[in-house]
Amino acid sequence: MSADSQLAAVLGGRAVGLPRRSVIEAAWRSIGPGVEVLSGDDGGPLSRTVKRIIDPLVLRLRANPQYSAPVVAPETAAAMLELVVASGPELRAAAAWFEILKLERRRQRIRTGNAQELYFPVCFELAVTKGPPAPHDHQTTATVLADIHRGRDRTAIEVLHEYVANPEVVARLADQLDRSWRDVRPGVTSENLADPFLAELATVLGPANSHRAAAARQRVWSAVIADATPYNLGALARSERPEKATLPWSIVELGLSSIEPQRQPTISIGSDSDRPLDRSVVDRVRATLRRALDRDALPDIPLLCEEEVDRACAPWGLLSEDKQAVLVAGIEVAVELAPLDRSVSTRYALAAQIQARLRKEAYVLYARRYLAEGGPIHPRQRQVVDDLTAYAHPYLSRLWARLHGRDVWQEPCDDVDEVRSLLEGVARSVSLDHRQRIKAMLELQVAG
Amino acid sequence: MRLVVDSGLWSTGPTIATPPPLVVVLEVSGAVLSWTVDDPPGDSATRITFTDLSRADWLWRVLGESGHVALAAALGADPNTNEPHGIELAGVDIVAGAVEPLRRLAAGHWLRRWWPASRQDGIAGLDRALLDVEVALLTVGAQDFFTDPTLDSDVTELLAPHAASLIMHIRDDDPRIRGLAVAGSGLADDIGVDDAGWPELFAALDDSRAALTMPTGRRDDYALAAGSGVGLGHQGDAAPIARGVASIIWSAVPPRIFDAAENTVDWSVQLTGAAVVALVRAAVIGPDPPTGIEVRLRSGPITGTGALDGDGRATLPLVDAGHRPVTESAAWDHDWTNASVIIGAAVPGVTETRETRERVRRWVRGRLDRPGGDAFLAEILAAESDY
Repeated sequence: MSADSQLAAVLGGRAVGLPRRSVIEAAWRSIGPGVEVLSGDDGGPLSRTVKRIIDPLVLRLRANPQYSAPVVAPETAAAMLELVVASGPELRAAAAWFEILKLERRRQRIRTGNAQELYFPVCFELAVTKGPPAPHDHQTTATVLADIHRGRDRTAIEVLHEYVANPEVVARLADQLDRSWRDVRPGVTSENLADPFLAELATVLGPANSHRAAAARQRVWSAVIADATPYNLGALARSERPEKATLPWSIVELGLSSIEPQRQPTISIGSDSDRPLDRSVVDRVRATLRRALDRDALPDIPLLCEEEVDRACAPWGLLSEDKQAVLVAGIEVAVELAPLDRSVSTRYALAAQIQARLRKEAYVLYARRYLAEGGPIHPRQRQVVDDLTAYAHPYLSRLWARLHGRDVWQEPCDDVDEVRSLLEGVARSVSLDHRQRIKAMLELQVAG
Repeated sequence: MRLVVDSGLWSTGPTIATPPPLVVVLEVSGAVLSWTVDDPPGDSATRITFTDLSRADWLWRVLGESGHVALAAALGADPNTNEPHGIELAGVDIVAGAVEPLRRLAAGHWLRRWWPASRQDGIAGLDRALLDVEVALLTVGAQDFFTDPTLDSDVTELLAPHAASLIMHIRDDDPRIRGLAVAGSGLADDIGVDDAGWPELFAALDDSRAALTMPTGRRDDYALAAGSGVGLGHQGDAAPIARGVASIIWSAVPPRIFDAAENTVDWSVQLTGAAVVALVRAAVIGPDPPTGIEVRLRSGPITGTGALDGDGRATLPLVDAGHRPVTESAAWDHDWTNASVIIGAAVPGVTETRETRERVRRWVRGRLDRPGGDAFLAEILAAESDY
């Protein structure tokens, strides 16, 4: 997708195209009055309006990835403009819903959560299903707020807990678990099982400075996700017997499991460990339900549990081969990241790029007096700073969680650019999380 | 506009080689912006370092649409950071005034962390709540630059600790203070801050809408939190074996603990019982306590380490190169003239000099003497407090 727009942009030796955000902004302004509560002081859409309404519900980026490129071709821009303008009536109705939801929020003295973040998608949904709010429709607003603030996910989680409180259900799932677990075995393994695969990864994680190289990289990725190696590596991670091949990494050191080889997961017995491969089936389903907040339909719990049993038994705890391949690529990236260590060199261009960013972000902490040069500025930060050196653990935990979500919702990972930006995005959020903790350790005593 | 690779990242604008505390930074979606703290306002001095160009969806606001597109095309989807000579983009430049609000926001963050409050130098502290509220409001105003959450995008975190202060400020008889406090409370209401104290603040706000003019006794302590001054005289009863003064390296310690003046660390080598120790005392200003901050003394082969207590004092047992306690006679024989005392983190190759700190104080005094249009209310109040 971005390759096409890049191509369009350099056609004829001069830049052609438009920044996507400026396209959205122009389209927004042509909607006219009635959307003020969704707009900033300058009349453009609020960032949250774009993030919570325009991107997911109007442009529907999941279905239309061409609208998500940073720079879009003129014809794509025209299509985006048309979509946004055509949604004008719904957007005006959504704005009206937001106003009365905010009034109701104030009336009920609700203070939790960011009103825009929570209500924007619901407002658009109401606009589509009900049109503009009817006068004095207190019933709907009260119900909507109750839904949001009671937590729709909680009801689904209650259903799950009731379901697995039934011993027959648990016994049936446990049977399925035993069978599924036995079914997964490494295929043909050789001593250097991972080598050819890792060589291909070097292309996937390497640079591509031309359109041709970018196309080649996509071809290699398509081959990689059809390859049995990630599956075999994942199956090897649990093998009790000595195999000819060995895993190139330790799943304990990577933080993916608390024990080697990986143990068969349980149905519901909670483990002390929060490592991805240690989690029980019920824990995994619960995570899915929590993330399902934005989805249209809540999945059927029995079906979800059955499927999760198979997923928990699959290599790397993921059913589809492309997710397994992304995790293996992520492992290769993760072991090269060390935000505070300038001496670490990287084998992959992508890891080098991420590493350069992490260092810049660490520099921001230094420039803001949250860290001294190269270390903690207060002894209280020691633990968190040490955590920064074990970057692979949080990186892989978060990557695994995102892949698990994609596996459940069957979102493909076949586009190499998307995979690369997933690997980058995980690094970004882990880094932010770490830095917030470093900051918090300093500011602990200030509160009050 | 020229793009060059700096430590593996594409950057543009002048190299900001100045170390903290001279550099002002702001982390926005996909980029880090930096300026030199005492540069006169103006777009030319902005450096943009792209951490992820594809996430910098605000770039057209700063470079114009064609500038954004030209830059994206030049760097491509997958920029090669091995380009040694950089790339020249003809006709692409920062739109006049486009980064000024960002620079002001960055300055606000700088003020929160580096403002050199000092009793000794007569530089009053800044009202933390009012400064944080103003930074929070500017952050919301710059929301287009925070598509991704960054270190600087979190408004809740800025507001959350200040309910108690704002309860007082919304009743202040100074309309500037009242106005800012009310705006901050309104923002907190919108974004759902519900930490301790906030329900009371919202209730007070509802009341005060009815009686906004009610005068109250504002605390006139914008100046400084109470704290003990440091006497420069010697400590203890006995005549010291040696004594001296040292300065705090700002970038080695957290803010809001120590007096930011020079020569605020007093040390002496003394005999207590049979042991030779160094007594160290640093001038504190608060509000945060110095407890646990490391102290190191080094004089040739003799060293001592310890941690400050809540008053900024520490007693360091001194040892020689063989880690043996220093004897009294060895202490008397030793030449202490080159002794160094460092408070805070061990900073390899200190880049922060006394001249650097003096430069910052000059700039800060200039702002206090003649608050410009970009001054924060907290600074204006500090200037008016005539500390």
